[in-house]
Parts: sequence; structure tokens; C-alpha cells
Amino acid sequence: MLLEVRDLHVEFRTRDGVAKAVNGVNCSVDAGETLAVLGESGSGKSVTAQAVMGILDMPPGRIAAGEILFRERDLLKLKEEERRKIRGAQMAMIFQDALSSLNPVLSVGDQLGEMFVVHQGMSKKDGRAKAIELMDRVRIPAARERVRQYPHQFSGGMRQRIMIAMALALEPALIIADEPTTALDVTVQAQVMELLAELQREYHMGLILITHDLGVVADVADKIAVMYAGRIVESAPVHDIYKAPAHPYTRGLLESIPRLDQKGQELYAIKGLPPNLMHIPPGCAFHPRCPMARDVCRTDEPPLYEVSEVRGSACHFWRECLHG
Amino acid sequence: MAEPILEVSGLYKHYPLTQGVVLKKQIGAVKAVDGVDFTLDRGETLGIVGESGCGKSTVAKMLVNLEKPTAGSIKYRGEDVTKLSGRALKAVRRNIQMVFQDPYTSLNPRMTVGDIIGEPYDIHPEVAPKGDRRRRVQDLLDVVGLNPEYINRYPHQFSGGQRQRIGIARGLALRPEVIVADEPVSALDVSVQAQVINLMDRLQNEFDLSYVFIAHDLSIVRHISDRVGVMYLGRIVEIGRDAEIYDHPTHPYTQALLSAVPVPDPEAREQRERIILAGDVPSPTNIPSGCRFRTRCWKAQERCALEVPPLAVPPHLRLLTGPAVHDSACLFAEEKQAVPVGEAPDDHGEGSP
Repeated sequence: MLLEVRDLHVEFRTRDGVAKAVNGVNCSVDAGETLAVLGESGSGKSVTAQAVMGILDMPPGRIAAGEILFRERDLLKLKEEERRKIRGAQMAMIFQDALSSLNPVLSVGDQLGEMFVVHQGMSKKDGRAKAIELMDRVRIPAARERVRQYPHQFSGGMRQRIMIAMALALEPALIIADEPTTALDVTVQAQVMELLAELQREYHMGLILITHDLGVVADVADKIAVMYAGRIVESAPVHDIYKAPAHPYTRGLLESIPRLDQKGQELYAIKGLPPNLMHIPPGCAFHPRCPMARDVCRTDEPPLYEVSEVRGSACHFWRECLHG
Repeated sequence: MAEPILEVSGLYKHYPLTQGVVLKKQIGAVKAVDGVDFTLDRGETLGIVGESGCGKSTVAKMLVNLEKPTAGSIKYRGEDVTKLSGRALKAVRRNIQMVFQDPYTSLNPRMTVGDIIGEPYDIHPEVAPKGDRRRRVQDLLDVVGLNPEYINRYPHQFSGGQRQRIGIARGLALRPEVIVADEPVSALDVSVQAQVINLMDRLQNEFDLSYVFIAHDLSIVRHISDRVGVMYLGRIVEIGRDAEIYDHPTHPYTQALLSAVPVPDPEAREQRERIILAGDVPSPTNIPSGCRFRTRCWKAQERCALEVPPLAVPPHLRLLTGPAVHDSACLFAEEKQAVPVGEAPDDHGEGSP
């Protein structure tokens, strides 16, 4: 297994108390595989990604427990120096907002070349040549001329390609993409997602795609982990989950989105709001919003029940949910 | 047929680009809206979709008089709003209200919810006498599904979805006939979006409202709209009833847009044909000649650079009947299925309020 996260807990100390952002996450991704982590804002999906990358702000953040095994080594036991060698070279991240992730006063060629200068000790000139090669690979037209340009001279889609190029530069084994297309228009989103999928196949990389968009997930993921209040509430191969969700939250999400191919009736709406991470409800965190909740849900936190060999659901009544 | 409540024709908005400080010389223009026509009937929802920069928000601003059009007319019940001023304008503006995109910046953080929703009454005191306002605001809170006791709270005490409800309550305060909603749910989480959309659906029936619903999310627009217009680079390129646009699109841009939308169905992944457009949208300062979409269109021919295709039923489709016959600004308009047709959704239970 390329990456395995075991029982990860992350919390943030704030003036008002401790916010429990991640509460026991288990997930794994193999080479060539795409894992989608789906969740709404505040579900802990980005914090999980930051913990894996080692870019969590600490303090106020704190990894309270857990292991992050990358190629069988626990990253949490490594020194910062050792982690820095892994970050960028063996695992890389693509962020949502390319404009604020790129340095506005450096040309894109300098920023791409820097990867090679810093990690591989190349000369600046060779770095520049590598940058052009990378820009070609992510299909930026006229790379040789545009390598001198600054981020503001590129469109949103082109900037996201530069981010992808930067992540790919050192041919990492794992890429984490945090909402990579959320800021883009649909036609550009389609271009970027296709490019990402193609490069993943070519390099046989593991990809963790963090998103709130059920459509994007269905398009590219092999397996999916649905997060709610810092826990994975359902994990399954992508085909299974869309056919028959085994958790009422997943079911609610799928039914609450309007469809493109027909005009629906009134939308199903999950009642209420996601919980405050400082006061996560006892028992199952979803019970105040769940149409199936019973007494046991208010008191006993459901473990991740095994639905099948490759599938789990953190709902006491997953059988009922699955069959109707 | 009854007279439409809104009739927009030949609407233009060009922002001049100038050079020099003292002697300002116009060197060009950003053609944000470049000839838009549509009508809105009473009780109807017109959806406008398009990518960022296509001018859809500028249209919205002109409809509620936050921007003055460069040319064209906006007729409300037969009267051209762009030519009105003073009291007559004020009366019209009362009837066309707006709901904004971002519920975090469109509410004043220093005002209580009661003051925010009640502020329209300060400007139009004839709608509600002073002593009656508090009760009216509480009624409005109740109508949009918020606790009327929250009247003295501040916006930061509410979640995004609740704030958008406050924005909607403010829009309803003057009992308008038309509501222009610019991306009203795009800042909200998926599970909260459905709540707000259902609310807007309900309010439309309850208050006999007409909506202009502007969004980039094609699924949401289909859900709420009776008719849909697709905008590209300042102009509507195709307009028709929702099934005409979504199930029988004839303009290549609409087809590309629809085929690019990720569909939440992994089974459809292999079977669907994706039209991936090359390149980016051209700059609105330098719109291509002829058909503005031709630079990204796979069907473009020489004729497309010379002739501007009008927004009308294309001549070669005029003799046909059926849903493919609707306004489409393309010389080579041709029906093409762009959305994979899935199985019907199961009959799920009733939605929560």
C-alpha cells in the first residue's frame, strides 16, 4: 500500500475550546488508484490532507493520535527535515486557488525551475529547460514564450495547469488534489480533470481527490470516502455507493442534488446544519439530521461496520439504508 | 397571451477603456453585455446560465437598476425602466428586487437582522406604516423558515444557509413581483443548497413571483427554471423551454457546456461522449467577428467569421416540428444529445421544509 492513514485524530485549540476536526480517520490509497474524499465544509477533509502532507499549522493544530504510513514508514515519527525531503519529491499537493498559491512576483518558469534547483541541485538554466518541458506536458501552448510570464498573465485554467505541472515536477508517487477544479468553469474543469487523469495513468500515481462535488467524484474516482464531522461515515468502491448508499448521509447528499437529465420534483433536503466541531453530538454525529435516527443513535457511536469486503458504513442501520 | 412582466431588448453594456490621465482617450471597450433580448412572463422562472465573464451578472445588475445600460430597453409592464427617473423609477424598483450571491458580504455586519430586513421600508414607507414594521419583519422571518425571535441577532450569528434566507426575506419585504437572483446558492454547501432552492420554489407559488435565476450550475438551473437562456461572451446564444435546451440542444456551445458537466453516476462515465472545448473564452474587449463562439467551435467554417447568426429559429429547422425547434444563434444548428440519460430517480420521501 502506498499510503495508509490509521486512526488519525486532529484537533485545533481555539479561544473558545478544542475543535475536533478529524476524529479517527482510516483510509488508504495504492499506486495508480484514485481515492475521492467527499465532504461538506468543516467535515475535516482538507485537514486530513494537510496532516498527510505535513503542512498543518501547528499550533493551533495538533495531531492527537494516529499513524500516517507512506511506503510503510510512519511520517508522524519523522523529523521535519526528513519530511521535507518527501514533500514535493514523493508526494505533492494541488490547491484549489491557483492564483493565491503561486508567487505573483516570480515568473512561472522560475517557480517551476525552483523545484529542480532546490531538490535536485540543478543549475538555473537547466531548471528553466525543465520548466518548459513540464509546461509542454500539461499542454500549455507556446511554453517557450510563456515560461517568462507571470501568474496574472494566465487564465484560471492555465494557472491550474501550472499548479499541476509543479506537483508533477519531481514525479511523485502520490498527489493530493484539494478541490482542484472548484474555482473553474465547467468547460475548463473538464479539460483539467481529463489532464489530471491522463497524467495519473501515465505515471501510475496514487491520487487523493478532495471535493464536495458528487459529479466530479463519479467521473474519476475508483473508491470514495464520505466524511462527516471528522469521521469517514461510508467508504466504498465508487460504483457501489452511487447505486445504493449504505449511510443515510450519503443517501441524503445524493438525493439533494438536482439532476441534469430531467426535471425533478421538490428536492430532498437534509434538515438542519452540519455540527459545530466544538460540540459534536454524542452517539452518531449525524443523528440530529438523520431521518432514520433511533434511541441507540443518540447514545452509541457506530463503528465502521463491514458491509462487504471492500465497503464500510458507520451507521447502526446500514442494512435498512442499503435495502430501501 | 398576456403581456410579459419584463421585456428586455437590444441590451448593451460597454465599459470604456481609457488611456491617459488628463486627456482621457477611449481606446476600446469591455463589451460585458452585447445585445441581449428576452422576456419574462408572470409567475415564470427564466434561468440564465453561462461561464464566468459571460455577462450574466451585469444583466442582473441592469435589471435592478444598479447599472445603467449603454443601449437598449428594459420594459416592466410595458414601461421602459431605463428612461424613468425620480418617483416613477422608485415605484418600479420596488417591484423588482434582487437576491445576491454571497450571503457573507451582502448583509451589513453592524445591523441586526430586523434592521436589515426592515430597511427597505425606510425607503418605501408607503408599504408599511412605522408601527407595523416589526410585526412584518417577524412574519418575513417566519416565511423564510427562521425563528421570528431572532430579529435582534446579527448576521454573524447565522450560518451561510440561514444568511441566504435573510437575504431572501429582505428581497421579499416590499412584496415585489420580480426577483432577480444572482447565483443565490453557489456559496452554500450541497446539503443546504437544496433547502434554499425548495424555499425559493415555495415562495414563488405563495407570492406569485417571477424569477430571473442566474447561475453557472446547469443542474440547479434546470431544476428551478421554466425557460433557460445560455449566454456566451455577452450574448444569449440559445434560449428555450428547459427540455428544449437540456434534451434537444442545437447550439454547439450549449452542447459542449452540457457534456462537460460531471454527472453523479459512475455508470455514465464510459458511455458518454465528452466535448472538450479547446482554449479559453476570448476577451470581451476583442470579440471575434461573425459568430463569437467560432474560435472554439468544432463546426466553424468560413461563413461563421463573416455572418453574425441571429438568435432565432434557424432557417433549416423552421419546417420541422418538435423540441429541437427553438431559438439558437448558430448557422449550422443541429440537434445533438449531450446529457447521458439515466434511469428515473426512485420515488423518495417528501423533502423537509
